[in-house]
Amino acid sequence: MSEIVTEREMDARAAEIRDEQLHARHVRVDRMFTWLFLAQYVAGIIAALTVSPYAWEGKIHTIHLHVWIAVIGGAGIIILPILLSIFRPGTKLTRHVIAASQMLASALLIHLTGGRIETHFHVFGSLAFLAFYLDWTALLTATVVVAADHFLRGIFWPESVYGVANPEWWRFLEHAGWVAFEDVFLIWACVMGRREIAESAARQAQVEHLSELEQLKSAALEMAMAEMHVASA
Amino acid sequence: MKRRALVTGSLVVAGLIWAATVGAMYRAVRQFETTPGREAAARTLWPQRSRIVPGRDHWTLVMFIHPHCSCTRASLQELQRIIEMSGPSLQTYVLVYRPADFQAGWEKTETFEAAKRLQRAHVIVDQDGREARLFGGFTSGQTFLYDRDGALRFSGGVTSLRGHAGVNRGSMDVVNIVHARTTQSTHPVFGCAIVTMESEQRQ
Repeated sequence: MSEIVTEREMDARAAEIRDEQLHARHVRVDRMFTWLFLAQYVAGIIAALTVSPYAWEGKIHTIHLHVWIAVIGGAGIIILPILLSIFRPGTKLTRHVIAASQMLASALLIHLTGGRIETHFHVFGSLAFLAFYLDWTALLTATVVVAADHFLRGIFWPESVYGVANPEWWRFLEHAGWVAFEDVFLIWACVMGRREIAESAARQAQVEHLSELEQLKSAALEMAMAEMHVASA
Repeated sequence: MKRRALVTGSLVVAGLIWAATVGAMYRAVRQFETTPGREAAARTLWPQRSRIVPGRDHWTLVMFIHPHCSCTRASLQELQRIIEMSGPSLQTYVLVYRPADFQAGWEKTETFEAAKRLQRAHVIVDQDGREARLFGGFTSGQTFLYDRDGALRFSGGVTSLRGHAGVNRGSMDVVNIVHARTTQSTHPVFGCAIVTMESEQRQ
């Protein structure tokens, strides 16, 4: 009976350690994303100023719409995830908002660089970064945002994403499919990572339990020795 | 308690800003990208006062560009594709706008260099958009295709949206006309203005 109770206690302690470690990890990754959002914001403005600083009408120029989008739109995208990572670090809501915002930041950067194919790699890099959370549901949110963006633009504005005006209805699935391809490996890595953390937490709980037992044994031994001393004296 | 309410309120406001930004950004970008420039007042026959002399044994393509227009890079990418797909029967001219009162060199941008790198294309500086006016082109990326008899066969842009390179009806129509698969066509043009209403009125 006492062994079962001890095992339950150990399991509870292992779960506690695992949750602590995961929470600490989530908070750390939230902070990393805060810095990444700021860096991306600056990069977006630099890209807009480099690629399309002005709109021209003959010899008259005005600030290009892309610059305003980078400054105002970029700020609008990052304000919520940054505030959440400061005031609600480590929560599920923060992770999912960060995942969605990161995909929107990718879409913005792709647009600001004139739809360069190379900038599309930002999406795949971002997914790998999101996998640091070891929470596959955040990857799912990011994938849904990418698919929704392609699906909606495919309906209302197809040339912007596929280059042709009448793409097949399933074309968004092809694009999202490549994201899903990466997701498979990242989700597997997340599951493995969580399992390793859980195993390490179980080992730590066991060590703590054994160390507690050792301390109890030592204390009992010391007490017995003390009693012997008293009896012999 | 007060701080908690303040934080929650700020997060709700940030959430609203976030959602509004996403919606407004999509709307603004869509409007910007899909709104074409001013349609050309194309001449059905080759303008006789033009400095360019068309070859009678060639198709002649003329594209007008603004050297500082960022969207025009996509038009030049498409032009490269058109040149490659049309073969040697196409003679190409890229006319680069430069205001007369601006110093020489103003037009030598990355876009200008990209035009110079085009194979089998002649790049000519179009001072004050004189040639653009003769041809009736107002927007950067405006393309005209004339046949061997000097008759206009295509007028318009060769991109599907502002700054978007990629297969599109405009560029495919040019290639199809040269290969006699289509007779003539028009397409919207996307880019910065070369000739504005104001500058036209001053002339």
